[in-house]
Amino acid sequence: MEKINKLLEEYFRGETTLAQENELKQYFTSQKTVKAEHEVYKALFIAFDEERKETASVPSSRVLLLQHKPLRFWIKTFSYSGIAAALFLALWIQRPQQENDYAIINGRRIDNPQYAQEYARKKLNAVHEMVQNGLKPLRDMEMLKENIRSSNRNELIKSDKTQIINN
Amino acid sequence: MDSKQFNTQILTLSDKLFRLAKSMLRNTEAAEDAVQELNMKLWEKRKNLNEIENVQAFTMKAMRNLCLDTIRQQKVEGELPAEFEFQELNPYQQTEHKDLAGRVKKLIDNLPELQRTIIRMRDVEGLEIAEIAFITSITENAVTVNLSRARQKIREKILSEQKHVEETTWKR
Repeated sequence: MEKINKLLEEYFRGETTLAQENELKQYFTSQKTVKAEHEVYKALFIAFDEERKETASVPSSRVLLLQHKPLRFWIKTFSYSGIAAALFLALWIQRPQQENDYAIINGRRIDNPQYAQEYARKKLNAVHEMVQNGLKPLRDMEMLKENIRSSNRNELIKSDKTQIINN
Repeated sequence: MDSKQFNTQILTLSDKLFRLAKSMLRNTEAAEDAVQELNMKLWEKRKNLNEIENVQAFTMKAMRNLCLDTIRQQKVEGELPAEFEFQELNPYQQTEHKDLAGRVKKLIDNLPELQRTIIRMRDVEGLEIAEIAFITSITENAVTVNLSRARQKIREKILSEQKHVEETTWKR
């Protein structure tokens, strides 16, 4: 107990180290009863111990909100970027298909529509001429048939007139 | 200092800062506001906090300065009575403070601002004399002198009250 008395005197003079002060705190707070002559100081060390346990209720709420602002910014940015990307993808899939039209001419891919149309027009004209030329003998035959039919009709009319006169 | 470092190095000191502010301002709500305000200020200047060696001492010094500004402002606006020294408790008040530890806390609260700040930094927070000197912007010798005076005053008050209680009990 002499040691505690000595430490107490040094403590009140402000001459103790932190380790010595911890020794005193330990002595006064860890046991229910202390020596009668020390009882008067017990409340002092219990008060320090109680104050050490005191905490603030919401000391950092505002600064934590501030910290979450950049996170919210990035969440929004990523969300909007995702929506924009989805819209772009949808439009790209449903875009007019004519953009991809092409023609194969003589085994070559032709993307120039004007060249392809001109080429097609020339080819169609050539086909048209071929068809026209191919049908010419048929047309001549038709004309011959028509002429024969009309001469036969004239012959019938003549014979009918002769019969009426004879009657 | 990024947000993770800020949370582990600064926000973990919030309770210590709150206790310091409460001891200086002697008001729980004002102390919580002061902690919020300081945290916000430190967050805004977090890029410069990496260069600080002793973050705890720096932060507590910033808190003390903030509280001193608040006290000065309150004095100017007439919201705060002038600093008071020990107040004698009447018999009614003495019976009200049956809780001895609570009574000691009251005695500390009645010390001058510098003395109550120093005694709590040392005996509640367990800070080194050099750290307290840095926080309070006085010499280490001045810290020891003020600490000794604060402890002696508390001792005298405790002994005098104890004597008073014994005399009252003896008379009965």
